[in-house]
Amino acid sequence: MATCSSDQSVKVWDKSENGDWHCTASWKTHSGSVWRVTWAHPEFGQVLASCSFDRTAAVWEEIVGESNDKLRGQSHWVKRTTLVDSRTSVTDVKFAPKHMGLMLATCSADGVVRIYEAPDVMNLSQWSLQHEISCKLSCSCISWNPSSSRAHSPMIAVGSDDNSPNILAKVQIYEYNENTRKYAKAEALMTVTDPVHDIAFAPNLGRSFHILAVATKDVRIFTLKPLRKELTSSGGLTKFEIHIVAQFDNHNSQVWRVSWNITGTVLASSGDDGCVRLWKANYMDNWKCTGILKGNGSPVNGSSQQGIFNASLGSANTSLQNSLNGSSASRKQS
Amino acid sequence: MSGSKPDILWAPHHVDRFVVCDSELSLYHIDSAVSSELKAGSLRLSEETTATLLSINSDTPYMKCVAWYPKYDPECLLAVGQANGRVVLTSLGQDHNSKSKDLIGKEFVPKHARQCNTLAWNPLDSNWLAAGLDKHRADFSVLIWDISSKYAPETAVATEKVRLSAGDAEAGLVVTKPLYELGQNDACLSLCWLPRDQKLLLAGMHRNLAIFDLRNTSQKIFVNTKAVQGVTVDPYFHDRVASFYEGQVAIWDLRKFEKPVLTLTEQPKPLTKVAWCPTRTGLLATLTRDSNIIRLYDMQHTPTPIGDETEPTIIERSVQPCDNYIASFAWHPTSQNRMVVVTPNRTMSDFTVFERISLAWSPVTSLMWACGRHLYECTEEGKASSLEKDIATKMRLRALSRYGLDTEQVWRNHLLAGNEDPQLKSLWYTLHYILYFFQYTEDMDQKLTGNKGPLVYAGIKSIVKSSLGTTENLRHSRSGSDRQADIIQYLSEERSLALQLCGWIKKGTDLDVEPFLNSLEQEGDWERAAAVALFNLDIRRAIQILNKGASSGKGDLNLNVVAMALSGYTDEKNSLWREMCSTLRLQLNNPYLCAMFAFLTSESGSYDGVLYENNVAVRDRVAFACKFLNDAQLNRFIEKLTNEMKEAGNLEGILLTGLTKDGVDLMESYVDRTGDVQTASYCMLQGSPSDVLKDERVQYWIENYRNLLDAWRFWHKRAEFDIHRSKLDPSSKPLAQVFVSCNFCGKSISYSCSAIPHQGRGFSQYGVSGSPTKSKVTSCPGCRKPLPRCALCLINMGTPVSSCPGGSKSDEKVDLSKDKKLAQFNNWFTWCHNCRHGGHAGHMLSWFRDHTECPVSACSCKCMQLDTTGNLVPAETVQA
Repeated sequence: MATCSSDQSVKVWDKSENGDWHCTASWKTHSGSVWRVTWAHPEFGQVLASCSFDRTAAVWEEIVGESNDKLRGQSHWVKRTTLVDSRTSVTDVKFAPKHMGLMLATCSADGVVRIYEAPDVMNLSQWSLQHEISCKLSCSCISWNPSSSRAHSPMIAVGSDDNSPNILAKVQIYEYNENTRKYAKAEALMTVTDPVHDIAFAPNLGRSFHILAVATKDVRIFTLKPLRKELTSSGGLTKFEIHIVAQFDNHNSQVWRVSWNITGTVLASSGDDGCVRLWKANYMDNWKCTGILKGNGSPVNGSSQQGIFNASLGSANTSLQNSLNGSSASRKQS
Repeated sequence: MSGSKPDILWAPHHVDRFVVCDSELSLYHIDSAVSSELKAGSLRLSEETTATLLSINSDTPYMKCVAWYPKYDPECLLAVGQANGRVVLTSLGQDHNSKSKDLIGKEFVPKHARQCNTLAWNPLDSNWLAAGLDKHRADFSVLIWDISSKYAPETAVATEKVRLSAGDAEAGLVVTKPLYELGQNDACLSLCWLPRDQKLLLAGMHRNLAIFDLRNTSQKIFVNTKAVQGVTVDPYFHDRVASFYEGQVAIWDLRKFEKPVLTLTEQPKPLTKVAWCPTRTGLLATLTRDSNIIRLYDMQHTPTPIGDETEPTIIERSVQPCDNYIASFAWHPTSQNRMVVVTPNRTMSDFTVFERISLAWSPVTSLMWACGRHLYECTEEGKASSLEKDIATKMRLRALSRYGLDTEQVWRNHLLAGNEDPQLKSLWYTLHYILYFFQYTEDMDQKLTGNKGPLVYAGIKSIVKSSLGTTENLRHSRSGSDRQADIIQYLSEERSLALQLCGWIKKGTDLDVEPFLNSLEQEGDWERAAAVALFNLDIRRAIQILNKGASSGKGDLNLNVVAMALSGYTDEKNSLWREMCSTLRLQLNNPYLCAMFAFLTSESGSYDGVLYENNVAVRDRVAFACKFLNDAQLNRFIEKLTNEMKEAGNLEGILLTGLTKDGVDLMESYVDRTGDVQTASYCMLQGSPSDVLKDERVQYWIENYRNLLDAWRFWHKRAEFDIHRSKLDPSSKPLAQVFVSCNFCGKSISYSCSAIPHQGRGFSQYGVSGSPTKSKVTSCPGCRKPLPRCALCLINMGTPVSSCPGGSKSDEKVDLSKDKKLAQFNNWFTWCHNCRHGGHAGHMLSWFRDHTECPVSACSCKCMQLDTTGNLVPAETVQA
């Protein structure tokens, strides 16, 4: 697990055999608050990307350094590259699904999404800027569509935290067009007009449609069902049938983060009320809350929902210098 | 602070005490409320905390402002600024110990009476107390008192005219001579000491902010601004200061004092309080009048004066601690992000501002989140009933129990899946029957069954369709039973095939359902057995089954009643029995019993009561339909049911669709609904001879499932799945991924070398196993040059490992035993991708057990550590 925080550093935690977490690396990554950190697919090695207020994004790789066995507790991370194209704070960074190769998307506060690619996966110091998409709105978060099906072309959703009260859609979806070799806007979720803090596509897991969770002033879950290709003009953009399947204002405040489990069946959200809520769909595709936990891990009193989830204090003695801006689990998955 | 509105202050050194002041000072003590009931006299502040009133001090009227002595001792010493400008030291409910005794009651009196607006203790030199006063002609407005000046009156007498009008008795307690007098001809609205230097005082004067340097009181730095209220220094960034005016907050950087570095968005209502959080960097809380919201500004990046023109990043949040308007709030000095708020009517509330939580799921159903300075991990509770478990957990457990891998008795897979999902049960039975029948037809003479094979995979829907064309197959048969003379059964070869797929009858053409009934009886499924018996027009058998069920171990005695009712069956149209049965059957809970009576009371040819009894298994309904519906009806029914199943993604429908494109459609909606790619993959693999596997969607499911197993670190399971897959679908066999080529001629040496029998390229094929040639293949078969040497034993590759444990090295005969596999792995070539050194796999493994560096001298490559994943243990072995 990797965490990043406002104190400009990133920490990497490893889980030991008996389930304890140990901080195996902690280093200063940026000269500003680190907004997000994300793992690349393990196929590409132990690679992290972080983005920061200091207008850069950086790619890090763990190397087997000179450390002998005694010092194995601390692993060594080296900066492979710094992506300096943005002129404003880089607010999110995400690696593309692995079937697309080693690709990285960043978005920045000036409303530009940039997609980089490392042509040579063995050489992480070379990244070429492949695409630049202008969203016209200050971007706060991006999410790749994880579907690796050939029926779905690469897609990226961008959320904006622009808080001007205009009616522009705050979630835009861009799709890669094989013919023009460019990303073009496929859809915009017109119903989302409040600032969006986080956005997440669910792991596709063989579904014929995509599920997108949006964290704005409430939790929203959308499904995007691609209409059959035959109906759309060939080579054009896929048209989607978009449904909002759930909308929850239980947080009663701004929702800060959303995250899907590995199958895309349970959504976790965290809000300004200091609670973590879990959402799950039943067989009828009705989403409902299956658990509420306070930020400090205690179950919420008097909640009628019986918590399926049992929180255990992960590492009480972890004293982080500062608040954590983002965390990214799933290290070393294969 | 206006007199009517309460203000609130935390004790600087007692984490559980705070003071609320309006017209009097009230000291409260915070307790954690473990029990839900309140102790007498305590107030509930939040779910976890209560407050108890410790003492009240109403000695000092006309309070305008209060400041708590910053040092630990004397405790509970407060300075109170009054409306007449006097500053009084007072204390709350403390025994007057020696040190504070001298101080309490001390008064500091300015020359001219006017309102005292603000007080500030010097945090370092705690004897210094600064007071900010309103303007009075050309008098000074900022007075710094020294509380330790005990003999102030005497010194005052000695140096200056006594202006004191107070009684002589109090003389020892009244101080009139301030240490410093600042801010002449001005008013002071707010004050704070700068932590940068203990002699620097920042004051919000009338229309300007000024920094007074006590080392040189004649000079001051000032800047004209309206934002002069509530000056306060960021405790984490000593050059950063906030002040406000009306609804606007200005942030200043003292290094560049000319103008605010930042102004926060203006609030519609005037602000009443602005405070930096003492436990978190750059968090500023603001409160406006008549509002129940506290606004928080997280300022990680205010611009610095040194040529950095980035726009500031401020995360704005608002919290609502209570429903009422808030009069004031105070941050807890040490407890993280905690504050107490007080409303105008003095109700209080203890409140913690939560950090924004960022969270992430791990692949193994646990959720991590970061809250404040802690990381939390949350895992799914094992005790949750299986129905509520998430599909991710289910699939994980199923993968561990080898679900889907039982190819001998396919139906057993549903047991491996936990034997709790009726749909899965139905699915695997269907697959079982399909495969069973397929094998059977293969065994039979090809001419008889001809092209039935593919038909079986195509499901009952196609079977029924095919029977439509061959009308001659249809044979009406009056039932042999004397009673059901009017019931028509239909028979054809295809229909009996369908019945076989439904599991009612075994192979062949005999229509005996007895084995099926027996197996149902064994499972204790009495109602279903009885219904099946009845649908086969054997009412006597049905009654017998029900009796048996009633008398069995934990049987339901009601079954006897049902049996009784059955025995009274009469086919007279208007009998009382009929009437009663058709009304009462609706009250039966068991769908099978219900269907039985529906069947018995139905008019001939219309069996809707049975066919559309949705709780009866699809399997039985279809079998029933195949028996009693005529071609047109049957076709319609099957068609309708298939569509229903496809729509719902009900796996029972695989019976109808078979493993065809229809089946894939059905499976797609099942996957859409549940995300269970595991079942989908295994199920579709069974249909391998047909072309369903080529369907893009199926391939996609399989790929997803493999990725899932990888993400769980179930690498062995993934390998098992791949083996299983390549057994059923030979086309999916991956190609050899590694070739060993000769250093000299570049040709692959694999075709003659025993060391790398890739991907099942059989050993026997190359005459390897046990053949004497094996040990001699030490040269490239293409150019006859020797193969490279093992770095450890320095013998050319291709030779068997000499140090095999046990006696296996003595003779090659033992190679045929189980040791052979192990020995062969030891023989394998292995090399480091980085330094290109290598040798026998067995040698290398044992070397790296004790060493980290490459065995080749002068090579410092840490070969084993390069592969970080290699050090991980597959999850399934950890769990086992």
